[in-house]
Amino acid sequence: MKAFLASLAVLIAGSVLFFKATDGLQALTAEGARRLAVQREAPMVSSFMLETMKGSAEPLPGAPGKAVMVEFIYTTCPTICQSAGGDMARLRDLVIAEGLGDRVRLFSVSFDPDVDDVSHLARYGELHHADGEVWTIARPTVNDLPALLKAFGVVVIKGDPDTFGGYEHNTAIHVISPTGQLSSIVDTDDFDGALEALKRTLS
Amino acid sequence: MIKAKHQPQEAAVKFTMLLAGVVLLLMMVFGFIMRAAQGGMIEIDQALFYQIMTAHGAGMVGTAGLTGISILWYFTGRYVPLLAGVFWTFLGLFLTGVVLILGSIFIGGYAGAWTFLFPLPAMSGGFWSNEAAATFLLGYIFIGVAFLLLHLEIARKLIAAYGSIGGALAWPLAFGNGRAENAPPPTVVAAMASTLFNVMGIVVGATVLVSSLVNLMIPDFAVNALLAKNMIFFFGHVFINASIYMAVIAVYEILPEYLGKPWKTTRPFAIAWTMVFLFVLAVYPHHLLQDVAMPAWALIMGQVVSYLSGIPLLAVTAFSLLVYLRQSRVMYWDLASALLVLGVAGWSIGSAPAIIDGMIAVNKVMHNTQWVPGHFHIYLLLGEVAITFGFMAWLVKDPREKGLNILDLAGFAVYLLGGVGFTLMFLISGALSVPRRWAVHVPEWFLQDRLATGFALLVILGALLFVVSYAQGLRKKRTR
Amino acid sequence: MKPPSYLVAILVVGFCFALRIPLEADPVSHILVQLPLLAWSGVLITPNGTGRRSEWNRGGVATLLVAFFTIIFWMLPRSIDAVLSSPTMELAKFITLPFGVGAPLAIGWARAHPLLRGIIKAEVVSMLGVLAFLYIHAPVRICNAYLVSDQHRLGYGFLFLALGLSVFWIAPLFIVHTKRAVMPTKTPATA
Repeated sequence: MKAFLASLAVLIAGSVLFFKATDGLQALTAEGARRLAVQREAPMVSSFMLETMKGSAEPLPGAPGKAVMVEFIYTTCPTICQSAGGDMARLRDLVIAEGLGDRVRLFSVSFDPDVDDVSHLARYGELHHADGEVWTIARPTVNDLPALLKAFGVVVIKGDPDTFGGYEHNTAIHVISPTGQLSSIVDTDDFDGALEALKRTLS
Repeated sequence: MIKAKHQPQEAAVKFTMLLAGVVLLLMMVFGFIMRAAQGGMIEIDQALFYQIMTAHGAGMVGTAGLTGISILWYFTGRYVPLLAGVFWTFLGLFLTGVVLILGSIFIGGYAGAWTFLFPLPAMSGGFWSNEAAATFLLGYIFIGVAFLLLHLEIARKLIAAYGSIGGALAWPLAFGNGRAENAPPPTVVAAMASTLFNVMGIVVGATVLVSSLVNLMIPDFAVNALLAKNMIFFFGHVFINASIYMAVIAVYEILPEYLGKPWKTTRPFAIAWTMVFLFVLAVYPHHLLQDVAMPAWALIMGQVVSYLSGIPLLAVTAFSLLVYLRQSRVMYWDLASALLVLGVAGWSIGSAPAIIDGMIAVNKVMHNTQWVPGHFHIYLLLGEVAITFGFMAWLVKDPREKGLNILDLAGFAVYLLGGVGFTLMFLISGALSVPRRWAVHVPEWFLQDRLATGFALLVILGALLFVVSYAQGLRKKRTR
Repeated sequence: MKPPSYLVAILVVGFCFALRIPLEADPVSHILVQLPLLAWSGVLITPNGTGRRSEWNRGGVATLLVAFFTIIFWMLPRSIDAVLSSPTMELAKFITLPFGVGAPLAIGWARAHPLLRGIIKAEVVSMLGVLAFLYIHAPVRICNAYLVSDQHRLGYGFLFLALGLSVFWIAPLFIVHTKRAVMPTKTPATA
């Protein structure tokens, strides 16, 4: 009987711990936890000054009353990650088609500002048909970079030799509400999810 | 005959066999309903057809495993002391699994077949929820753990009594200079070999079950479909084969009482069982001959081993049985001995269509036809299940009576006729390229479907007689 | 002379701590070397026969469950990610693995019924298989701190560990122990 009670106690305590540690079985990975936390808490994002592909300065989050969609990139990606540019262009087209073009700003922000100077940003923008009006490519200052990545929960690590000197990071589209709250994080190819999240923050 | 050193757990096994008998009847009724629906004789919802098919498949594999291991447990208990509590725990876990499976099918609507092939459980097209599929898989996990428990108890006792796995497999006799009179009895060899491969099957099965479960809950964790199929068929093939290899122990233990001569472990017997062990593990790719992405060597191995795998044990068991039967001067027939001999015959004959289907060239056309159910229904209906009913008849046999009474004879005749006719209809339909697993048949296929429905009724009638006479026997034995 | 086991334990923990940066740089050495070593240190500091008589831990079930849940916690990819970004979690790892996995495992295993041990071994092999299966094929990155290619290598690590353990556990059963073969049921063939 004692043994049964002890085992039962461990079983209950262990299950509660597991439940807590996974946010109620919803997030097993750090990336899942990040997305869940953002959805629940919608934290404020402090303002960062970016330099765009046209050389102008622009704050992130952007102008008041405008929602923002941000992804993090590096323009020198030699492999598959270039497809992120195509995805972002597609998202831009969808946003315009929905008639939301003047209510949202799309950013592709480089996490490699050392290498990605304005000319790199411009070349990347040209390659993927970034217009600069709805969607622009930008970079933070080298000093701001760690705080910026931390604010969004992005982890960047150096890839192995197979990736030709590239990086790996948790790629995603981050949706910021007009009030400057990080409200949703979705996969870069999840266009429906991104649009839905955008509409939620605008309504 | 063979001097029992220990007392088998009779009550537990008798109770289990009663349960199994009732479930077998239910499964036969399911089969009857499906054949009648295919023959256009009754109208059932197609979703329900696939639910019944899933329940029939999972239920038959489970019951075959249950009866096989009960036979093994009963007779192994003659040679080594087995813990009774382990069997009751096994039965509790097994029945929990059955409840989960039945719930997932008939309440949750799961109808993805007993093989739970990825990605079908996760892609029901709205017919069932992920939770229903997960419940089904969870039910399997319960049953897997239950079997693992029994096998571990058996393995540990056999290893303790015979020194090592090799000792229990009679390796000194098979490959060394051991002497036949020192070799362990056939039951021990069979129990050790089937325990070994069933544990391997279950461990692999648990891996793919839990992976599928994780995939259902978190779709981001994808499963490699081809690897999953390999693992599922390895597990499924081993498990269903193990059921008949375990059941055949009843033949080794019971028939000697009729033959007046013990079944002996000979060198060919010992070698055969070790080869069976290897073949059962290696033959499963013959289920994947249509998967073009499989490496050629695996498919060729599947074909070659499937040629070979029938030979050693069948030759040793079926051939020995023939010799024993010819030599014996005291052999007599009653329900138990008749069903056991039928079981060996059905098992031998059932391997023929299997070997034919195991040829790559044939398989390309035949595998998705009713030829395949034809083969495994011979194996089960006229093999494993016949042995099971024979074992049940023996359990309640009245030692004062020798021979077949009229009811036994009627049951046996009806069962045999029904079984042969029923399986023949599958084979004929298969040869005519009638697809398997189709809820709706075209009128051109109705003839065999309807004949099979009639034969199914005969099988049910025969089985009903067996089960009723078993239940009566249990009561009589208690009052005696 | 054999050094006392607590000394070995201290050395093992010290090794894991001193080399934590290189060990944790690669998920294979992090998960398949450092974590098991820390758990092993817990086994080392547990004197033989600890809690042998406790009624609360009959059959070792309660302590085995403690070890089970602690292992489950550290199997969560987010726990591993957290270790790399939070010193508190790193400290928690160095404490809970010896005391939450190694020690309870040692206490529970000594009292566990042979059947329970068998079941646990079989489950360990299957679950390592599950991990291998998922890590080799997962199309998503499981840990933010590690590369996808690392993840694949870890998957193969799990696979080899599963195979190694099955051989390690099964092989001895083929070796004849004369001590075992004493049951007088029938002269064992191996005699």
